[in-house]
Amino acid sequence: MGYMHLGLLDIHEALIKNKVTPLELVLEAIELAKKGTNNCFEYICEKEAIEKAKKLDDSKKDNILYGIPIVVKDNYSTKDIPTTASSNILKDYVPIFSSEVVNRLEEAGAIIIGKTTMDELGMGGSGSAGHLGTTYNPWDKTKTHRIGGSSCGSASAIASGIVPLAIGSDTGDSVRKPASYGASVGLKPTWGRISRFGLFPFAASLDHVGYFTRSVYDSAAILNVLAGRDEKDYSSSFKPVEDYTKKLNEPVAGKRIAVIKEIVDAINDQDILATFKNNLEQLRQRGVVIDFVSIDYKLLKAIYPTYIIVSSAEATSNNANLDGVKFGLREPGKTYEEILKNTRTKGFSKLIKRRFIIGGYSLLKENREELFVRAQKCRRLIVDAFNSVLDKFDAIYCPATPTVAPLISSNLEAFIGDYSIADDYMAFANMGGLPSITLPLGFKDGLPFGGNLTAKAFDESNLFNLAQAIEDSTGLKDLVAKEDE
Amino acid sequence: MEKASKEVLQLTASKLMFDMTDEEYDRLVKEFEVLIKQMNIIGEIKGVDDAEPMTFPFDVTNSCLREDVCSTSIKKEEALKNAKDVKEGQIRLPRVLK
Repeated sequence: MGYMHLGLLDIHEALIKNKVTPLELVLEAIELAKKGTNNCFEYICEKEAIEKAKKLDDSKKDNILYGIPIVVKDNYSTKDIPTTASSNILKDYVPIFSSEVVNRLEEAGAIIIGKTTMDELGMGGSGSAGHLGTTYNPWDKTKTHRIGGSSCGSASAIASGIVPLAIGSDTGDSVRKPASYGASVGLKPTWGRISRFGLFPFAASLDHVGYFTRSVYDSAAILNVLAGRDEKDYSSSFKPVEDYTKKLNEPVAGKRIAVIKEIVDAINDQDILATFKNNLEQLRQRGVVIDFVSIDYKLLKAIYPTYIIVSSAEATSNNANLDGVKFGLREPGKTYEEILKNTRTKGFSKLIKRRFIIGGYSLLKENREELFVRAQKCRRLIVDAFNSVLDKFDAIYCPATPTVAPLISSNLEAFIGDYSIADDYMAFANMGGLPSITLPLGFKDGLPFGGNLTAKAFDESNLFNLAQAIEDSTGLKDLVAKEDE
Repeated sequence: MEKASKEVLQLTASKLMFDMTDEEYDRLVKEFEVLIKQMNIIGEIKGVDDAEPMTFPFDVTNSCLREDVCSTSIKKEEALKNAKDVKEGQIRLPRVLK
């Protein structure tokens, strides 16, 4: 029968009632991981996970993560386990320490069974830009549609029923967009709520820890484990941590949701629009006040270029340590400079180099004010616009994506002349550090699509409360696309 | 703004300590034509140049002061365990000083 297709709470109950042991769960997850055909894994931690399951301290049995097999995106440092961020430049790199996220998960009793594929160093949204190639969407048996990225392996692993919790990271929408394409619940909390110590930085002012679960309850319960101050991360917040499951089922009557009119108007898919509007009606019936509000179209159009400039510029300095000297790949050279240049030339893919050049070009003395500083100024205007909406509402709610998962044959990494504001708008939550969650909304031709809800900074309890109301109204939770179906 | 010519992009790559093929530079020059148009969208935003640049989502107040408590760092064996080239208890790296 197996347990890995269930939600965290159901598996936890089975463990408490001794219906299954952590070792049995780990063996099941590893078998599924090895049999999987979606290219989810950089490394399957078979030996390490079995050893941990055998030695697990059952005094932690009450913790929801005790004995639960999980996967972690390959940009989190994991002690003695290879960590490459799906980049050749980190070939054979084995960290001597674990990230704070991994420490907290393991402290709670979770067992990592694999490191997942990603778009190289977190840059890209296609799920095809890692050194192991394309990761597939388990909802599409023809393997022609994307799962999205950059947290592609984690999104695919949870959607294909391998584990009930998958850790990702989110700099622009790298958890929340693949969650939409994979019918899972994808959360990135407030910037500073979860420590980023040991998470490879891509763009430090935008990077967030994020993760995929199969229900809103599971998402809230995991934030209870991961949230909290960590002195090893300069951006880690001192704000007290709440019990994020406590207010999940409180009535939502009287709460106020804003729908951004321009984003909805930019969506052409009538099925997605109809499902979204139907869900708004379901929420109204629960007493939620819903208003369509406007944000300047030009400002919404500026989200994508602002994100590209700021993130690419930050990436150039954040990845300057990948030099072929200290760790990872090292190409030969007569001097230190030659080693550095040869290693970076060979170790980075074309796409990464392109992003670095965009960043470097924006930072050139001649361009800095006009490109990088202006993008930082625009970021402020974008964040101010969304925050002024949130001053009057509990949350902003829109379809997470304007379409179901795009075809793999579509070249998402090419820079296109025109783009829809509904495609990349979710980066506003990274710019403002706002908590944001994507959850399943419906299916079209067998492929899922989600809705995205964003709240004020540090207002996760309110976010989860409204997300629970959405989940209750759609009835969509614990969704898994098994490989053999 | 400096024009995104092949020479400028080559210089940018050189500053970033990597190189690309001629074909890749040629492609990137074409892509920059599109990119610059997208970047120009930002310049069209009303009041953008009067805004304060945003470097982080919000201010973070931190303190570097802590109690003077002894703690241990990792052991030497652990520090060396995953290094590729260890000699006489030290990690051997390429020479970086002339």
